[in-house]
Amino acid sequence: MTLLEGRGLSKRFGGVTALDQVSFSVEEGTIVALIGPNGAGKTTLFNLVAGALKPDAGQILFAGEEITGLTANVTCRRGLARTFQVTRPFATMTCLENVAVAVVNSPRSRANGTWRLSAHECLKAVGLGDLAHIEARHLNVVQKKRLEIARALATRPKLLMLDEVLGGLNTQEIGQAVDFIRSLRDEHHLTVFWIEHVMGAIMQAAEKIIVLDQGRRLMEGSPEEVVKDSRVIQAYLGD
Amino acid sequence: MTDRRFFVILFVAVGLLSLLPLGLGVYHLHVMIVSLFYVMMASSWNLLAGYTGQVSFAHAAFAGIGAYTSGILAAKFGLNPWIGVFIGTILAALIGLGMGILCLRMGGIYLSLTTLGFSEILRIVITNEYEITRGTMGLQVPGLVADYSKPAYFYIMLGGAMLTLIVLYKLIYSDIGLNFRAVQNDERAAASLGVDVVRMRVLAFTVSSALAGMAGGLYGHYLLLITPEIPSLDQQFLVLSMTVIGGMGSFLGPIIGAISLEIFSEYIRAYGEYHVLVFGLVALVVARFAPNGLMGLAEHRLRGRRKASRTVSAAAG
Amino acid sequence: MFALAGMNGLVIGAIYALAALGVSLVVGIMNVINFAHGELYILAGYFSYLFANAFGMNFALAMTLAVALVFLFGLLIEYTLIRPTYGNDMYSLILTFILSIVLQNAYLLIFGPYPNKPPNWVGGSTLILGSFYYGNQRLAALIAGSAVITLVFLVIKKTWFGRIIRATSQDREMAELNGVNTKRLNMLSFGLGCALAAAAGVILAPIFPVTPTAGVPVALTAFVVVVLGGMGSLWGCVIGGLIIGLVENFGAAYISTAYKQVFSFIILILVLLSRPSGLFGRREA
Repeated sequence: MTLLEGRGLSKRFGGVTALDQVSFSVEEGTIVALIGPNGAGKTTLFNLVAGALKPDAGQILFAGEEITGLTANVTCRRGLARTFQVTRPFATMTCLENVAVAVVNSPRSRANGTWRLSAHECLKAVGLGDLAHIEARHLNVVQKKRLEIARALATRPKLLMLDEVLGGLNTQEIGQAVDFIRSLRDEHHLTVFWIEHVMGAIMQAAEKIIVLDQGRRLMEGSPEEVVKDSRVIQAYLGD
Repeated sequence: MTDRRFFVILFVAVGLLSLLPLGLGVYHLHVMIVSLFYVMMASSWNLLAGYTGQVSFAHAAFAGIGAYTSGILAAKFGLNPWIGVFIGTILAALIGLGMGILCLRMGGIYLSLTTLGFSEILRIVITNEYEITRGTMGLQVPGLVADYSKPAYFYIMLGGAMLTLIVLYKLIYSDIGLNFRAVQNDERAAASLGVDVVRMRVLAFTVSSALAGMAGGLYGHYLLLITPEIPSLDQQFLVLSMTVIGGMGSFLGPIIGAISLEIFSEYIRAYGEYHVLVFGLVALVVARFAPNGLMGLAEHRLRGRRKASRTVSAAAG
Repeated sequence: MFALAGMNGLVIGAIYALAALGVSLVVGIMNVINFAHGELYILAGYFSYLFANAFGMNFALAMTLAVALVFLFGLLIEYTLIRPTYGNDMYSLILTFILSIVLQNAYLLIFGPYPNKPPNWVGGSTLILGSFYYGNQRLAALIAGSAVITLVFLVIKKTWFGRIIRATSQDREMAELNGVNTKRLNMLSFGLGCALAAAAGVILAPIFPVTPTAGVPVALTAFVVVVLGGMGSLWGCVIGGLIIGLVENFGAAYISTAYKQVFSFIILILVLLSRPSGLFGRREA
């Protein structure tokens, strides 16, 4: 079943077309990667889906309902959570409080128990359990990325949108992170929509890859199909 | 801070303060009453600037709304001043709500611009509607108690300050307060986690305006003469300076700022009307070099000492 | 009366447009509102008064010097107060507001509460359209104001510096990636914004003498003009300035002089209600 679907999405900034008639779908329970060279429009697409920006044209459907143009806080309550490429922690709040913000606003996680407990679980899940009472500004980049994931999880999403969470990790850590994201999908019945530059991780984890180039959808297919496609190779290597 | 600790500290402080009328003369009691007015004003302004990151320049104007509403109702229609203060508070809240809805969709800068404009307009209206407000001459209003006495007003203002602080504490240390701080830190991130940013801002602005309205109402009935001085930009500036110097975003900061600066200004007032200029320069330096004010500095030193002792014990162990 | 109010509206409108251009330039580039804008306007008025009346300088020289000094003062403000707060919009609001009160009180201490007036540039009056006489000084102010506005447009539309300004106000990150030194650009545009306030000040001071707090209504109106025109839009400033100038003066002539300021505030409310991004504003932030 399709969980997220975009139809003919376009977005312009001033004179520049960031996205041009992009359609795509993300099937429930899968890990779908979104790749493309710098400036291809990946983050813009995320911003449209998550409600941080409004599309100039096109429709977005989530769980069968139209969510085009809904604001970020509403899409979040519908079950869509995202992380930011450049992390945006609440710097003067502790890690626990950072996650608690997500918990108290989620219509799904409110029901079970006090928020502190649930927030703690999310922090533990990403390995920040020991840093719960540290202010977020003291974290390093990798820890901040983990905190973003913990916050996103704490909203109890149906769809988790990750924007380059592997930056700054070494090969071994990347392997662990991929396992972690897979386990999230399996244990929490999540769907993952994932922008990533680290191709190795994508090849391991994704069931489907969507390739953007210069604001257009270049192709969509399995990892094997994508690496063989001459257009993709050209987009990455040629000009 | 836990709930229990807060209420213990609050009641001990209030208990100690309520002994003051036994020892203080009329003049010093007056200074304390004015200080308590500023505690209410600075603390409630801090809810906006310190906890949600938006700047209103109409906080004094809302105090003016409270004071004039209650004053006019009492002086012209003979309404009980207590009911007047209540109505003034509600009116300030409603105007705050309307203005908040109007501006805050567009972001914080619009609130600052509109509130500044609102202050100026209110000043113009008050000075021009002489028939109703007595303009710059000031409106004479009845007191809150039948027999005017400084100690009685001191206890009233102390009660008002206590109420204000309890409301603020309950709000700041609730789920809503958590959302406020998230909005202040990063509104885009907050929105992505389900926080309704505009709603939080409007809520903070409404509560803060209502508390200013209450403070103004009580203060007006203490002064017995309500002038455009209450809603002036100079007054707004004093409240802002007290909060900035005391420490924005800390619960204690504005309280300390308000009391110390009011006492300080009484001292330098003896040398002429320089206190605004002096406060301005001090506030400028503090805002530039110690953006968390006196409380920030104190916390910094405290933390430095704690860290030092931790290193020592670690070395020892 | 209609024609006179219209003429007054044009003169004042041009000056509002000028003051608003300064605000808009700074908002567009730095996303900072300078709440001391009005006090810098007044400072230029005091300078030109001082140089012309006390030092006996030629009025044109006094004005140029006044604008130049305020420009330098603007650079200093940016360097000492604004730059460290960059990225935290709230602190720049607070700092410039404190600065405005400090300056007002400093003026009061130095110049006293009484109005000070630099000399007129020209005397006499001219018959307009054969129907009424209008002061030459006001006509000169209109011409000078329009000339400065034209100059600003030329600089921004035609020069290399203007291209950088436009690029940066559209997309700051992109500009930085393309090697624009945004630190220096910030400083320069803040200084320019102050200089535009100063230009408005020296042009209007002979007509409306300066007092310590006379800058407040002018700055407020400039802010309303910026919101009406759309934050960061230059054409918006000109059109908005003229609209507000005319509305105020017709309102003063036909409804109430005392409530002149209130009309622009009502316009602000209407704009926020109906078209919050302003006449020429980009729809989306």
